[in-house]
Amino acid sequence: MEIVQKYITNRRKLIFSTVFLSLFVILPILALVFSVVKIDTSNFQYLWDNLLFEYSLDTIYLITITSIFSLLFGILPAWYMSTNEFKFKNIYDIFLYLPLAIPAYIMAFTYSDVLSYTGPIQSFSRKYFPDFADLINQDYLQIEVLGIIMALSLYPYIYTACRLSFSLIGANYINLSRSLGMSRLKTFFKIVIPLSRVAIFSGLFLIIMEVLNEYGAVKYFGVNTFTSGIFRSWYSMQDVETASLLAVLLFFIVVFFFSIERYLNSRYKFNYTPNTKKFKNEPLSFKNRFIIHLVCLIPIILGFLIPVLFIINNVIYEFSRIDFIKVFNLTTNTVIISLIATLIILVIAVYFQFLKRILKNRTITFFNEVISLTYALPGAVIGLSLILLFTSYPFENELLIGSFGILVYAYVIRYMAVGISPLKSSFDKHPSSYDDTAFNLGMGPTKLFRSIHLPINKSAIAIAFLITFVDIIKELPITLILRPFNFDTLAVQTYEYAIEEMIPKSSIYSLAIVMLGTILLIFLKKIVNKEIDVPKSK
Amino acid sequence: MKKYFFLLLIALVGSCTTTKNKSKEINIYSQRHYNVDELQYQNFEKMTGIKVNVTKANADELIQRLKNEGENSPADLFITVDVGKLWQASDMGLFQKFEDKSVFENIDPQFLDKNGFWVPVTYRSRVVVYSNERVKKDDLSTYEDLANEKWRGRLLVRSSSNAYNQALVSSLVANLGVENTFNWSEAVVKNFARDPKGSDRDQVKAIAAGQGDIAIVNSYYIGLLLSSEKEEEIKAGNAVSVFFPNQDDRGAHINVSGLALTKNAPNRENAIKLIKYLTSIQAQETYVNNSYEYSVNPSVKPDPIVQEWGEFKKDPVDLNMLGIKRDEAIRIFDKTGWK
Repeated sequence: MEIVQKYITNRRKLIFSTVFLSLFVILPILALVFSVVKIDTSNFQYLWDNLLFEYSLDTIYLITITSIFSLLFGILPAWYMSTNEFKFKNIYDIFLYLPLAIPAYIMAFTYSDVLSYTGPIQSFSRKYFPDFADLINQDYLQIEVLGIIMALSLYPYIYTACRLSFSLIGANYINLSRSLGMSRLKTFFKIVIPLSRVAIFSGLFLIIMEVLNEYGAVKYFGVNTFTSGIFRSWYSMQDVETASLLAVLLFFIVVFFFSIERYLNSRYKFNYTPNTKKFKNEPLSFKNRFIIHLVCLIPIILGFLIPVLFIINNVIYEFSRIDFIKVFNLTTNTVIISLIATLIILVIAVYFQFLKRILKNRTITFFNEVISLTYALPGAVIGLSLILLFTSYPFENELLIGSFGILVYAYVIRYMAVGISPLKSSFDKHPSSYDDTAFNLGMGPTKLFRSIHLPINKSAIAIAFLITFVDIIKELPITLILRPFNFDTLAVQTYEYAIEEMIPKSSIYSLAIVMLGTILLIFLKKIVNKEIDVPKSK
Repeated sequence: MKKYFFLLLIALVGSCTTTKNKSKEINIYSQRHYNVDELQYQNFEKMTGIKVNVTKANADELIQRLKNEGENSPADLFITVDVGKLWQASDMGLFQKFEDKSVFENIDPQFLDKNGFWVPVTYRSRVVVYSNERVKKDDLSTYEDLANEKWRGRLLVRSSSNAYNQALVSSLVANLGVENTFNWSEAVVKNFARDPKGSDRDQVKAIAAGQGDIAIVNSYYIGLLLSSEKEEEIKAGNAVSVFFPNQDDRGAHINVSGLALTKNAPNRENAIKLIKYLTSIQAQETYVNNSYEYSVNPSVKPDPIVQEWGEFKKDPVDLNMLGIKRDEAIRIFDKTGWK
């Protein structure tokens, strides 16, 4: 501490800069809160009396189903991956990540088409297996189906978290437990799951936020979530204040759960020494091998292969009518705007982590948490809040609304937390003696950053870059509300065709998103594997 | 690193200011997202050399945006698929009057705005389609009759957040009054075959799949299904027939897709040229043959697929009512549990 004090003379200025940056990020929340002050409560009363209860129930139900299936699709494969050796393991490991490349709304539209009465499955069985056709002729636009579909595109959050956690727990605990006579099942439930609780919760948290953020698919399936309530008041009732109140309420509910997660996180601070000790490699019986392959293949097939094959099939069908110049332009748009937003996020996030580390200042630590909170705002709410902000005193700036700048700003607000989280854990990991030594050796903060922190956090920065980038490529609600004239992204174009039920027409744009995402995720996977050094027991 | 960051910042600030409009442009906020619209704009560009810029979004979003942008809005024209939204935006003072007589000469007076703000471009009817297998045409009569117990568990319709449903129920409020419409909606909800969901086309597919027997949908969706390239969709379209309700009294509910000049349209002259083009016979024929809507010009005949359903009597209620009564319609939906 003292050492740092000596070398950093403009400490105050630096702290002030972080406070200023945080205000920049949380300004929209303040705009919402201020707008609530002007509320006329009669509309809220009306929503409360007629709709909110049902909306809340639907929201909780959808979150529950999505969570349960995400856990199933995520934990089991991660467990087998971490403890067993089997054929195709490395391929499975990559493929289990890939559903993250498919936005939930594309997954939902694709599946509603695949399963529909005029879709391939039902048409095929009507032709060849009429009895079976009657059996599967169901209404698939159900909240339960939607929950499973969303789980298919979101489970990789759990898978990633568990994979990392299981490999950190390493073989010691598990081998020990097995030697002490606990069964596999018991080891799993008594040792592995409790030790990974924190990781699982943080993955689950991301999934819940994604469900709350969802807008297109939910509407199509006739499910009314809390976010639908916000739109009901904003659009149908023309009451921005009530919409803001709902948004603020939602925000605080989420922040409440977020704090619980944080609290648990700090309470259960496990210090397991990562180890690469070999797992006891018991030869697997045929039955076990079968189960393992099944468990890994189900999420891969349902979450990636089926939707992608279906999309490709539609692309082939539409091929002669595809406007490739448009596809190219939209891809360029998407990549450029995502890149700009991602870079800004990274600069801010790294700046915060670095200052937090060398200054060890409470204000910075606090604001570092605060700027992560905006992830608790659904994208559409951020759109609303920015419109509110730039139409009210003293920020009135009509030129900004519908400009490239405001769209980037909105992305930065929404995805700041995504960029921060991998950086945070990496910056926290290295001992602070590095900094002290560096300062003692006469390094200034800039040099310290460039020659020490940048290199040692290289992987984390790359990871933060990739996951933020993938998320922004897929972004829909913010882009829909704030995009400028003649500016479409792949996500917007996909949605516009899909909502008009021109699924084949939308397919090339979906495919572009999925391909971009897939490439980035494969890079990500490579870096993550290097980083955690997944124990290989060969 | 620092240098690049500044460059980036400068680029960003630069991009924040939207370029001031040149005279060879026109900016449109449009809710219409059919392929036919792109075709129309391309034709217009070829004819006049005026570049058409479009922001497509849902009407509510666009209205909010117009309102927020105020005098600085770059938009010249606002286009929707629901007259209720046109009324709403004109009521909010977002439009200027449009009084070019030469345009009105081509349009059936029934579709014109009594207040002179918006211009209709096409119209469509919200009809009842019924299963050819399970329903006899004689069983159907009016929208009011959809509340009849004989339809218990047989009626399909999409969500109440959909503007077409809001317009239909607004027309009922205008024609029957709030109380009667409330009772109607309550009974209709009991008749639902399933919770409202999906799109209009999904309701037709659900009839083909046997999940319900009748559905409330917009007329042109049947045209789109029947002209699909997918054999299964054509089959689904052929499984149902179109019925225009209330032919013995006020006529079937219609809604118009239309446009209006925004209050401060920066490219007003160009916008008027586009309005003239879109209401011309040439453009009206393009609409009719690509989107299966009806032309507001009485001399333009519908597409052959649509002609087969025959002519029908249209509800003469003032179309602005579809906006004026919308709040009441929405409250009726919420209170009677129409999701």
